[in-house]
Amino acid sequence: MQVEVSRRKFLQGSVAMSIVGGSSIGVTNLLASHNEKESKTSITTKTGTGEAKEIATLCEMCVNKCAALARVEDGIVTKLNPNPRFPKSKNMLCPRGNAGIQALYDPDRLKHPMIRVGKKGEGEFKKVSWEEAYEAILNGTDKFTGMNKILDEEKDNRSSFLFCAGEGMAEHTFKQFYSAFGSANWLNHASLCLQTVISGYGVTLGGYPQADLDNAEYVIMAGANRAEAIVTPDTMDIFKRTKRRGAKLICIDPRFTNTAAKADKWLAINPGTDLAFVLALTYVVITEELYDKKYVEENVAGFDKYKVNILDNKYTPEWAEKITNIKAKEIYKIAREFMAHAPKAVYYPGRRSTFSNNDFQLRRAMAIFQGISGGVDTKGGLVFGKKLKLSPHASLVPLYDRAQARAVNKVERTKGQVGYSDCAVVSGGGSWVGWRNRYLENKMPYNVRGMFIYKHNPMMNMPNTQKTAQMLEKMELVVAIDTMPSDTVMYADVVLPECTYLERTDPVKTFGGVEPSIAQRNKVLDPMFETKPVMEILRGLTEKISKPIFDITKKYDEEVQSEIKDSSEEEVYAEFDLTKPFEHSQEEVNEHMVKGLYGEEAVEALKKHGVFYPDMDKYFKQVSANEHQYYPQKKKYYSVNGGKAKTESKKVECYLPNLAKKCVDPMPMWHDEYNFNVPNGKFRLLTGRHAQFTQSGTSNNAVLRDLMPENYLWINRRVAEKKHIKFGDMIEISSSVGKTRIKAYPTEKIAPNQLFFVHGFGEESESLTWAYKNGGNDNAVIEDIIEPVYGASSMHETNVEIRKV
Amino acid sequence: MNIEKIKEFITTIPVNKVCARDLMAFEKTPRNNILAVVIFSFLAMLVVGVAIYLGQGHHAYNVTREHPWGLLIAVYIFFVVSSTGLCIVGSLGDVFGFKDYELISKRAIFGSIVTILAGFTVIAFEIGHPITMMIYNIASPGLTSAIWWMGTLYGLYLTFMVIEFIFLLKHDMKMARYFGLTGLLVGLAAHSNLGSVFGFLNARPISNGVFYPTYFILTAFITGIFIAFILMGFRYKLDFSEKVKTMLTGLAKIQALLISILIFFVTWKMLTDIYGGMPNRAEVAIHILGSWTFWAEVILAMVIPLYLILKDMGKSHVILFWASMSGMVGIFFMRYNLVHDTQLKPLQMLKTREYQVAPEWIHYFPSSTEIMISLGGLGLCMAMYYVGTKVFNLDEDTKEVK
Amino acid sequence: MARYGMALDYKNCINCKACEVACKEENGVLLGADKHRIWVGVKEIEGEYPLLDIVSSTFMPSQCQHCDDAPCEMVCPTHATYYDDNNVVRVDVDKCILCSYCMNACPYDARYVDDRTMTVDKCTFCSDTRLERGEVTTACQNTCPTKVRTFGDLDDPDSEISELLRTREHFSLKANLGTKPKLFYLT
Repeated sequence: MQVEVSRRKFLQGSVAMSIVGGSSIGVTNLLASHNEKESKTSITTKTGTGEAKEIATLCEMCVNKCAALARVEDGIVTKLNPNPRFPKSKNMLCPRGNAGIQALYDPDRLKHPMIRVGKKGEGEFKKVSWEEAYEAILNGTDKFTGMNKILDEEKDNRSSFLFCAGEGMAEHTFKQFYSAFGSANWLNHASLCLQTVISGYGVTLGGYPQADLDNAEYVIMAGANRAEAIVTPDTMDIFKRTKRRGAKLICIDPRFTNTAAKADKWLAINPGTDLAFVLALTYVVITEELYDKKYVEENVAGFDKYKVNILDNKYTPEWAEKITNIKAKEIYKIAREFMAHAPKAVYYPGRRSTFSNNDFQLRRAMAIFQGISGGVDTKGGLVFGKKLKLSPHASLVPLYDRAQARAVNKVERTKGQVGYSDCAVVSGGGSWVGWRNRYLENKMPYNVRGMFIYKHNPMMNMPNTQKTAQMLEKMELVVAIDTMPSDTVMYADVVLPECTYLERTDPVKTFGGVEPSIAQRNKVLDPMFETKPVMEILRGLTEKISKPIFDITKKYDEEVQSEIKDSSEEEVYAEFDLTKPFEHSQEEVNEHMVKGLYGEEAVEALKKHGVFYPDMDKYFKQVSANEHQYYPQKKKYYSVNGGKAKTESKKVECYLPNLAKKCVDPMPMWHDEYNFNVPNGKFRLLTGRHAQFTQSGTSNNAVLRDLMPENYLWINRRVAEKKHIKFGDMIEISSSVGKTRIKAYPTEKIAPNQLFFVHGFGEESESLTWAYKNGGNDNAVIEDIIEPVYGASSMHETNVEIRKV
Repeated sequence: MNIEKIKEFITTIPVNKVCARDLMAFEKTPRNNILAVVIFSFLAMLVVGVAIYLGQGHHAYNVTREHPWGLLIAVYIFFVVSSTGLCIVGSLGDVFGFKDYELISKRAIFGSIVTILAGFTVIAFEIGHPITMMIYNIASPGLTSAIWWMGTLYGLYLTFMVIEFIFLLKHDMKMARYFGLTGLLVGLAAHSNLGSVFGFLNARPISNGVFYPTYFILTAFITGIFIAFILMGFRYKLDFSEKVKTMLTGLAKIQALLISILIFFVTWKMLTDIYGGMPNRAEVAIHILGSWTFWAEVILAMVIPLYLILKDMGKSHVILFWASMSGMVGIFFMRYNLVHDTQLKPLQMLKTREYQVAPEWIHYFPSSTEIMISLGGLGLCMAMYYVGTKVFNLDEDTKEVK
Repeated sequence: MARYGMALDYKNCINCKACEVACKEENGVLLGADKHRIWVGVKEIEGEYPLLDIVSSTFMPSQCQHCDDAPCEMVCPTHATYYDDNNVVRVDVDKCILCSYCMNACPYDARYVDDRTMTVDKCTFCSDTRLERGEVTTACQNTCPTKVRTFGDLDDPDSEISELLRTREHFSLKANLGTKPKLFYLT
């Protein structure tokens, strides 16, 4: 009962105070005063048996978006339960999903708008009203420059502002602001994340497929860790059903993950050499003619060239053994087994950061290997599934004559072809690290002076933290919209507090797959403190800045000037009115997006159940305590493209001449520089995910911290013994870009020349009670190496040294 | 009428009228001064320890999920074992009629009362809810619980001891004998139940079985004799009369036998623990053999006293006084080991957090509060005894039976 | 009136600990690593890299076993630990004197001290939260991503758990102690 009082107090704006002291009391207890971390402990609330509301929401503790039902008692969220109706997450909520409640009641949340009064990065802010914050963005203060001045000085080059965002359902809303504002500089998480996976599969199969793990009989999971990097329905299907049904799971990973613990076979591979493994599998399949000949003939393009490439280069298992450290006989066996089970065999595409410089080619090779097995767009293989349509809604994309194109440098690349200095292809999300480094090196084609950051933490999520700090320091105006005082927020000039996902309705979203559905995040509570949903934040901001910055456009943009002459200023301004995309409430927009196509029934279902798909009422039923039916077996969308790839040619593309033009291998091949190599005395640093944390976004969550207080450095037990390193010893890891400190966890789960620790810890923001200096920050040591095709950061290419401190 | 009788009974208990000044009027020898300072500082520790406990509750103790019983339980056992032991020693004379031992009876019975009171004081701050305990011990008795029997019987035992003591003061040896015998039996029952608190632990192979209930009676007798030496040593300032010497030599001989039996018991316990074909138990026993507290127990409570007694068959009484001091320290370790060793092996051997060394042995070291309350209990015991020596005549009465 | 038990398809467990968080949030269990009603035990893998013994690495979800012959119930001096109408082993906060005997007597390390009431706390099968509201599952079962748990009435021959126990091989923890746990590990 006392606990609930505390949460209620929190609602009123005061900090939830602990009623519990620490649990471990030492001999010194007599003199010890309770430290701040303990006194700030947030708490759990027992659910009651009285009246309660259940509101359907979608989780935002990671990017996966599982459906949840929030139990609200007396205005307090007491529990988040899984929502059984969502075919994607099938009545489950992971530890982070359950801990979402702590994100809502985190005492460290950003509570009101703030503007910087101290030195940049020091986190000294002044609490201001929303109006004052908007005013500061437009006109600056004595500490930083305003938007008006920057745009005026840059003569209405809208691209003088950079926009960046993390993944999330409201990213779309923020992106509308970016489009309307007219900048060409958009950077998002893609190049720090799954860019090469999406693109590799995109160009090869015509889309990033899902894996039908529910029906697959043989699964190779290489460099994917579904037990710890939870993705639905994959995690549920692979571990809940596949093994029970007798399907085989082969796990390929340099370290022994929880996925490996659940696999039938785990093969320790040298980091960054998966491509050699796939090429050798392909070699076996080709030489032994195990592939689906009919399928290849009809549905695979450029196979002959690829075959020649594989055979001529002699990508034999024996060759691969030397590179990958996987025994040749295992490679033969896996290739044969895979094809014996095809098309109900899956080489799991994965969904992770780029690890090595050959990652794009690796994805291509994986897709081709899957392609020649015939396991594409078919039950038990890779599937595209169906996506339910949503009605489009109006957006505003004005044409600014003065706005320059994206800040990339075109350079002459070899063979006389034009390319970019960072990478061969510039994607929508850009190359974050490439962009940042060029910005710091003053290699921009024009000035970029301000930036808007939405739900994004480049200080933590991008290799070489020091450079990111320099970049943020160099920016004259940094506006951050976030829920937590992250390391990045510390570098902001203006901080706009967003409410958490439980306090807002987000754009309705369609989830494609074998069992497609539409889902909506409904507001559970009204925003607390002075926080607002990003929709409202942007409404207020655009109301403030739209007119004044249009005046700048009017001043410099001759097109606009002449248009005004031809018609009226009012008419022209209508095309540049930034407030337009934010006129309607999110609820209204969502209603519009589904009503036309699916009727009032869909609108109601989304509000009530959070989920809708045609015939849901008829199809959805509980089959057992742990299972639900979403679609009858016959209605599932295993095959939507006649078993073919979704490329323009409807064929799996082995050979891409367009890539050759950009000096990228037109088909996957191995180069010696891909070989795994660690100088003596150094270690290759690996990073990754954990089931209890989602990168830096959850690092301050008290309940999750309860499960894993901090990250530890995996170091091979025998190596640690030689170096006299014991469990819990503090280790300093250093590379050419920086240092970080972390405690040691000697284990046999990692190779003697490698180290690993979970990403997302070791934040420097003092406003984070629990995350502050808690554990090690991988990006402080990971070097800013980018792969050549998309400029995505290669996370596993850094060698480091260690020292016991 | 009954009330009148009771009133009369109580008012006729022979006591010396003493005031605070009398209590401070001890001979100011260095030894006495040191003792006074020790008692006062222990009492002060009790006050401080209890104050911390009242402020922080169990947080002030180093007890954990895996080691819920700490020093205070050990000290409680230490005191109640002492009490039972003194009761046995006291009974030799007034219950069983061994004339040689009558001269210590009253003193020993009084000692058994103050030690158990000290024990109850300590346990009151260990039990989370002593008041609730008193209510539900009666309202909702758990008859299958060794703790219930132990607690209830000790309550009765205390009552009988007090009554016996009163009759002793009143020289009513017949009534004293009745109550003494009942008290002794109840005390032995209570005490073996305390052993069974551990013996019934299905989850703890090292403690499970008949060993502790019987061993507790044996060690109680041993403890009683150690304390008898100490009490007599203080009473006569190590300058014993022939009569006392005779008694002490007798006690020493019994002690030699008891310690020999104890060594025999402990040896066989260890042997069966280690070679009894129960790997889980053997592992713990071997671990115990490697702990210094076990050897402190063996050397201080068994080897040294036994050696010194056997040297001249219990005739060096002064040396045996010091041997008994060593014995009591050893007995303390015996109690501490009993409690700690029971909980040594984790019940759950898997890691529950990823970054953790798998639990192997449970570690425990008492917190400052626990230590203060424990020493406070000792201080309280000594203070009560001292007051008792002033208020009551604890020496053997001269033959003037009514 | 029922006799509730739980079957655990423990080999499906991926050690994500969703159950632990769900339990804490549902039942208002205090934060702190040793304050847990349920947990997942992990055994560090045996062998030397890269020759590791996969089967030696187990994830073992555990909690109060709700023994039919519970040592904790037997040793309680005040009947604070009792069987409720559904044969769930419960603790009556008003009667608990915190003698901690049950904590020592439980062979499964299933008990801990709740610092608010200073009494012993343990898994209740969500009796005073979910079951009291008429829900038919526990928080841990409901949230589990790989659906390790099946909760139900052992006395009802038609219940899913009864069916599972009839058709699947299973074992109990420390069965040699004769505590007759109502948690069953499916093999």
